Amino acid sequence: MIRFLAYRLLSAIPVLFVVSLVTFLIMWLVPGDISAEIGGIDATPADLAAIRERLGLDRPLWERALNWYGALFQGDLGQSYTLNRSVLGAVMERLPVTLSLAAIALMLATLMGMLLGILASVRHNTWLDQGAMVTALIGLSIPDFWFGIVMIILFGVWLGWLPTGGFVPLSEDPVGWARSMVLPSLTLAITQMGVIARMTRSAMLDVLGQDYIRTARAKGMRARTVIFRHGLRNAMIPIITVVGVLSGVLLSGAVVIETVFSLPGVGRLIIGAIQRRDFPIIQGGLLITACVFVFVNILVDMAYAWFDPRGRDDS
Amino acid sequence: MNIHRKLASGLRSLSAVGVIALAAAFSPAPAQAQVKGGELVVVQGSNPPSLDGMSTSSQASRNINMNIYETLYGFSEDIKPIPILAEGVDISEDGLTYVFTLRKGVLFHNGDEMNARDVKASLERYRRVGATKNLLAPVKDIEITGEYEVTFHMVEPTPTFLEAFSSPRAPAIIIPEEDGDTEAGKNSFIGTGPYKFVEYVPDDHVTIERFDDYSQDLRSDGIDGFGGKKTAWLDRVIFRIIPEPGAQVAALEAGEVDILEQIPMPAARRLESDPDIVLHENARWAFTTFIFNTNVPPSDNVKFREAVQVALNMEEIMAISSEGLYTLNHRWQYEGTTYDPGQIGAEYYNQADTERAKALLEEAGYNGEEFVILTDSNIPQHGRSAVVIAEQLKAIGINAVINQVDWPTALNIRMQDEGWNGWTLQMGIEPYLGPVGLIATLTSPARPHFVKPDPELDALYQELIKGETVEARQETFKKIQTRLYEIFAIIKVGDSGLMHASRASVKGFIPFRFPRVYDIWLED
Repeated sequence: MIRFLAYRLLSAIPVLFVVSLVTFLIMWLVPGDISAEIGGIDATPADLAAIRERLGLDRPLWERALNWYGALFQGDLGQSYTLNRSVLGAVMERLPVTLSLAAIALMLATLMGMLLGILASVRHNTWLDQGAMVTALIGLSIPDFWFGIVMIILFGVWLGWLPTGGFVPLSEDPVGWARSMVLPSLTLAITQMGVIARMTRSAMLDVLGQDYIRTARAKGMRARTVIFRHGLRNAMIPIITVVGVLSGVLLSGAVVIETVFSLPGVGRLIIGAIQRRDFPIIQGGLLITACVFVFVNILVDMAYAWFDPRGRDDS
Repeated sequence: MNIHRKLASGLRSLSAVGVIALAAAFSPAPAQAQVKGGELVVVQGSNPPSLDGMSTSSQASRNINMNIYETLYGFSEDIKPIPILAEGVDISEDGLTYVFTLRKGVLFHNGDEMNARDVKASLERYRRVGATKNLLAPVKDIEITGEYEVTFHMVEPTPTFLEAFSSPRAPAIIIPEEDGDTEAGKNSFIGTGPYKFVEYVPDDHVTIERFDDYSQDLRSDGIDGFGGKKTAWLDRVIFRIIPEPGAQVAALEAGEVDILEQIPMPAARRLESDPDIVLHENARWAFTTFIFNTNVPPSDNVKFREAVQVALNMEEIMAISSEGLYTLNHRWQYEGTTYDPGQIGAEYYNQADTERAKALLEEAGYNGEEFVILTDSNIPQHGRSAVVIAEQLKAIGINAVINQVDWPTALNIRMQDEGWNGWTLQMGIEPYLGPVGLIATLTSPARPHFVKPDPELDALYQELIKGETVEARQETFKKIQTRLYEIFAIIKVGDSGLMHASRASVKGFIPFRFPRVYDIWLED
């Protein structure tokens, strides 16, 4: 397992290098830079040139890239042009918001999706099956920004049960934190659970048709045991694969949800930086997000091994 | 056409609400007891780019900064320079010396008393990092001539200097001497205002709290524009950053926030009769404009530009782009203000005259060349007006194409001499500043918005800033208005408003260029 982990970590390095390089190239191709934001609408060309020179934006791409990678090897992601703080500081102070949102949404989506999928497979070709799959499809089809606003109006304005937006740090007020996370994570989970529900249903239908399930049933084993111990456990591999992919989708989906619910997360940080052309934040923020994504994928690969002992031998 | 009538009718009813709200705000207060304490939450859509008041001209920053910092001079409610931190100014006969005496006993948020050294250090810093540092260009040097006195020695007489110096665009705020050497955005956010800075969490909130040792200006009875006697009733004010307009309105309806800097007009109409919500109309918020690139064909041809001018139906553009909150106005000043040029140019405005436009296009020798309209997606009014303008131009045979990009890209493209023909722009603070601030953006030495300078307009701008009396400057401005309707390099589409909204529990709120969180209080 340690060899496997070391191999995966080492293979992540070229991935992260390509991510950072592609980001560099894309931002180089995008027209406009921070000088217009700093200089204002009536800045003269000379004013803008002075700002570019001060920030090193007048240097050739290769020189800027070399400087950035040079600093990165010393653990320095640079300074934001606008936030008056280091890139690492800016990203790290927002990472808990995005990670907690994505993690809670992932748990909810997995739980709700698997329940729907199991229900649909066990009651195959009944109205329950149809109902579960229609629910999953609706969740998949509705745009998350629209659904978020509907949730805000319903639970925040009409019923007044939950805050309409904003974030309360866990360290300040755990109850306030939980209340501030309910609507965003539920919105994100409902719009993503459909994939898990459909995959669970399909995998379970495969497994439930196997001989060993028939044998278990013939032995008189309780239905719950057959479904969860023998059925679900053997259907988990494709479900885990989907959950792994979904973790990335949830991280990117968090961008929209953070905007709708006014959460100060990494997604909003990067979107704001793109709009202002705050290159160090874009570069550093995407690199750290890519690191999280790679890490989650390693966890998923480790989960395969846990659910499928054959995987341990392969590693 | 029906939809426009409906929008216009909606506007009229909302205007009535706004006028009533405004009248109620300005009328002698019927003995409302102000309540000290409480926490007010104000919502705006974007982060302040900086809380260093002098280094940014952004509205999102001004909203907060003008409650923290103050200037020597600022504009009154009727846009005239009034002393704020200054006791007054003596201007020499030849206009070459300005002696500012300072108010005594004014404390910074760090407890130190403001004196002439702080003023000199602040203004020297402004010369380096001020976002509109050119306003100090007429000042040769600043001399400390007393503990509470500074003297400006001018390069040449500039009769409009005090107006420019009072500008809130990127205000010449006074900060402690210790911050004088700091880079832009790196000061300690210490000012002399009624509220002091507490914390800024980007994308979430800025918190300010009452400065208990605030030195009120007792020369007036109440607030007056950016100055006057300010009273901080609230313990704390939180500026929450909520980018999504729907979420802003939901938070207001739920009672989680108290004031929206801007409420979308459809939501304003829906909440018009809600007893918990009060709408505040700020009718004179911005000029909607359409700017030509006079450097490239077909927009380099004055006859072509005139054709566009007479083809446009301003009512249609304004009704759709402003969602119904607008005033038709051909003037390059607000109607009834000091420099109102009257009816000059009215014969070209809101004509929607397709026949005349087609004749002018023929005269211009237009051959169906592409006419690229540059606009952006960040400021919704820009995109909406571009769409309506493009459709109207297509109707007279112009091959109009929209290039919609994001704001930084639009700013980048419009700085290029080629690659665009028309550009939609909301001018917010410039018209408020009066003729000098507005015309400066259209003339040398700056790069005119329409790219190629017009020597006659440049000369008129110089005449304007050197005009010794208001009457002389009024006459010059009439010539400028005439010239603008001769060269058609920029089209005035109309005046657009801004609708604020507050909870009914917020008292004393008067719409202005920024949300003044002093002299307002909360009632249960």
